[in-house]
Parts: sequence; structure tokens; C-alpha cells
Amino acid sequence: MARLMDIGLERLSNMLNDMASLSTEAVELAVKSFVEGVNLQEEVFQLSEKLRWLQDEVSDLAVELIARYQPVASDLRFLKSAMEVAYGFSRFGRYAYDISQIIATFGDLRECNKEVVAEVSTVVKEMLALSIRSFLEKDNRLAERLEEMDSIVDRAYKTNVEQSLVEGSKKCGMALMLMLRYLERIADHATYIGEAVNYTVVGERRPRR
Amino acid sequence: MTMLKELVGRNMEEIAYGGKVVVETINLSVIYGKRYAIRDISLKVEKNRITAIIGPSGCGKSTFLRCLNRMNDLILDARVEGKVLYRGLDIYNREVDPVAVRTVIGMVFQRPNPFPMSIFDNVAFGLRVNGVKFSKTELAAKVRDALEKAALWDEVKDRLDAPAYSLSGGQQQRLCIARTLAVDPEVILLDEPTVSLDPISTAKIEQLLRNISSNYTIVIVTHNMQQAARVSDYTAVLMPDEEMVGRLIEFGPTRDIFTQPRDKRTEDYISGRVG
Repeated sequence: MARLMDIGLERLSNMLNDMASLSTEAVELAVKSFVEGVNLQEEVFQLSEKLRWLQDEVSDLAVELIARYQPVASDLRFLKSAMEVAYGFSRFGRYAYDISQIIATFGDLRECNKEVVAEVSTVVKEMLALSIRSFLEKDNRLAERLEEMDSIVDRAYKTNVEQSLVEGSKKCGMALMLMLRYLERIADHATYIGEAVNYTVVGERRPRR
Repeated sequence: MTMLKELVGRNMEEIAYGGKVVVETINLSVIYGKRYAIRDISLKVEKNRITAIIGPSGCGKSTFLRCLNRMNDLILDARVEGKVLYRGLDIYNREVDPVAVRTVIGMVFQRPNPFPMSIFDNVAFGLRVNGVKFSKTELAAKVRDALEKAALWDEVKDRLDAPAYSLSGGQQQRLCIARTLAVDPEVILLDEPTVSLDPISTAKIEQLLRNISSNYTIVIVTHNMQQAARVSDYTAVLMPDEEMVGRLIEFGPTRDIFTQPRDKRTEDYISGRVG
């Protein structure tokens, strides 16, 4: 027999599913805008705003469910994680918007070598998909994989920072560094989502690196 | 019959786990006629902590509670197996007087049951029947102290001679708690003490329990999961098995029970997943 709270929990899951789709779209558009040099700032902004609005909706509903039903155990952990995951999705949107502003700010970046961005963005997009999958399928085994991939992104960012200090044009160096910085932040939040899923499933937090 | 405190002896604090555990049950079972109501329940009740007993109707929560101060002795066909230790002493030992047990392990029931006498006399009752002579001043001081601990003094100090039945249900229940506290027990058992009270009176009783828990060891049976979550330090979950015999399925810190229970039956029960 379904509980009264289950209706609310299902609505919450649907909203998070919507956030997952929107944040994937936002990040993909933003990466495309950087790699192909097209200005998609407005489109990404709209997605980012929707994500921000949905994050508030998720938080409000989670608080309402806590107040109405006093959930415990895995229900309570799910609600706590839902708020964290919604925040993560909202941050994906915000960083996507930040990325979309690079082209608008720096203008033509065709002269820059974007190979590293292509590589890192592939990893980050996979992390995004994995974090969403781990949440939707409540698969906490993916948390470890996300952590490993996060290390790859961190290393790529650090290497780029060091290289940009000694070689290449200032404009390309700054644009690439910003881009990689935002990707690195997205990777971090994807990892946090994996952690939140792990907490929902087993009730324990993995030590953060 | 020997008084319980004399039997336990002078070095009470040293007995039973350095004084940390006040009451312990070991493989405790209760049989009504030929049928087990609860079976093999072993748990330790810590000093100055609130332990909640939760579980569905008919799982034996009240039966278990009543064993802790021998209230089941009053039920004709009830038989107890296993042990109930109060500071290491088996309270079912032949030499132990059950009345003495109830002075150190007091009980408050579901519905307020004040005696048909004044507010003052209700609280003084236990002191008078215990056989210790108090002067009028001493008696008044003890009654006041108990009413203050029960957070009732300010509401009744100007009408101590009024009948106890003139109080509201919530006040009557706090009066019953004051009556229990007056004889200075070490352990207080409460069997669903707020079941008949409104939310404000319930909140007052819960607040009162937290306030007095630094001086008393409390065991509370409750059907209200949120009440157990709010007031207790430890929670024991009882559940009937296939033969409808109450079993202890999980016991631990309340925080763990309500955030990450280990047993799926606990998870389902406290989350309201039924049917």
C-alpha cells in the first residue's frame, strides 16, 4: 500500500529527473559554444535559470515533506540527498552559463588549441551522465568511479595552469584556464552527487579527499 | 522480605557495569498461560538515559515494561523466565519484595490515574505509605520538590487542597509523574504516558522527561515514533515473530535507529511501510 508521503517523493524524483535533463543540455550547449566558437549565452542562461528555479522547488517540497510526514531512515536520507543533488544540478547550470560567457567575453578563439578542452569535456560529460545515472538508479558503486574521473580532470586543470604560465598567448591561456576551471567545478559537483547517492543507499559518508 | 536497597548493598554504584547500566534483562520471556507473549529479550538500560520501546500493537512492549518492576506479578497466569537485574540484583529473587522494587522502579500509566483526594495528598501518598515519618514541613517540601520536578508547581501552588480531578488531563498526568517522583525512585517506567493528551500537554510531558533525565533513568513505551525520536537516547524495537511472540529485533542509539536502522523490519515499521 502506497504511503501518503510516496506521492510527494515521486514528485520530487520527477523534478530531479527534469533537472538532470536540463543540466545535461546546458553543459552540452556550453561546451559546444566554446569548442565551436558560437555565442549561446542566452540559451544556456535560460536553462540555468530553470535549474535554479527547480532547485528552490525541490528544497521547498523536501522541507514540506519533512514537516508533514516526519520521515525517518532511508526516506529522510533520500530527502537530504535530494536537496544536495538539486544543488549539484543547479551548479551544473551555473557553470554552463559561466562557460557560455567565455566566448562572449573573449571573442574569437580560433587561434587557441582546444584539444585539452575537448578531452576534458568528454570526461566531464561522462561524469555528468554517470552522476545522473547513479542518482536515478540509486547505484552507489558509481561514486568510486566518479572520484577516479574527478582526479583526471583535476590533473588536467593543474597541468594547464602550469603550462599557461610559461607558454602560449595570454588570451588563449586565460580562456582555456577559465574553461577548464569551470569543467573542474562541474566534475567536483558530479562527484558530490555520487557521494550523496552513496549516503542515501548505505547511510554513511565516504571520507572526502 | 528484605528491602531492595538493602539487598543491593552499600556499594550500589560499583555493581553492574560500573554503575552505567541500571537495569538489564537477560533472555527475558513472559508466558501468559501456555503462550509466550515475549521471548528472549536481552537489553541494557543505561543510567540517566531515556530508553524508548517501540513496536506494533501486540508485540509485547507493555508486557516487557511491566516486567521491569514486577507489575506482571499482579496477572494471575503470567510467568516470567530469564532475568531482570537492577544494579546486578535479580528482582525476581525470592527474597526481593515486589513493593520494594516498585519504590525504586516507579511507573506511570497510559491514562492519568490520580487518587480521589487533593493534589497535595496525591503527591504525599507514596511518602506516607512508605512508613517513613516526615514532619509537616518536610512533607510540604518534598511535595513541592516533586511538583516542581514535574513542572506543575506554578500551576497548582495556590490550590494544593483542590481535588486532583479538577486538573486537566495533562496536569493530572504530570501529577501522577510527581507522585512517582516523590518517593525518589531511580528508574521511571512510562507506558504510553501521552496517549490521551493533546499536543501541548504532550510537549510539556516530553520536555519534563528530558529535564528530569539527568537525575532519573527512564524507560518509555510509545506508539508514537516521533515521540521516541524526540525524547529518547536509546530505542528498542520489538516485533512479533510468525507465532506472534514479541522479539527484540533491534536496539541502539535513537539517532542510528531513526537514520540508518540495520534491520529491514525496523526500517519498514518506522517508515510506515505496511501491507
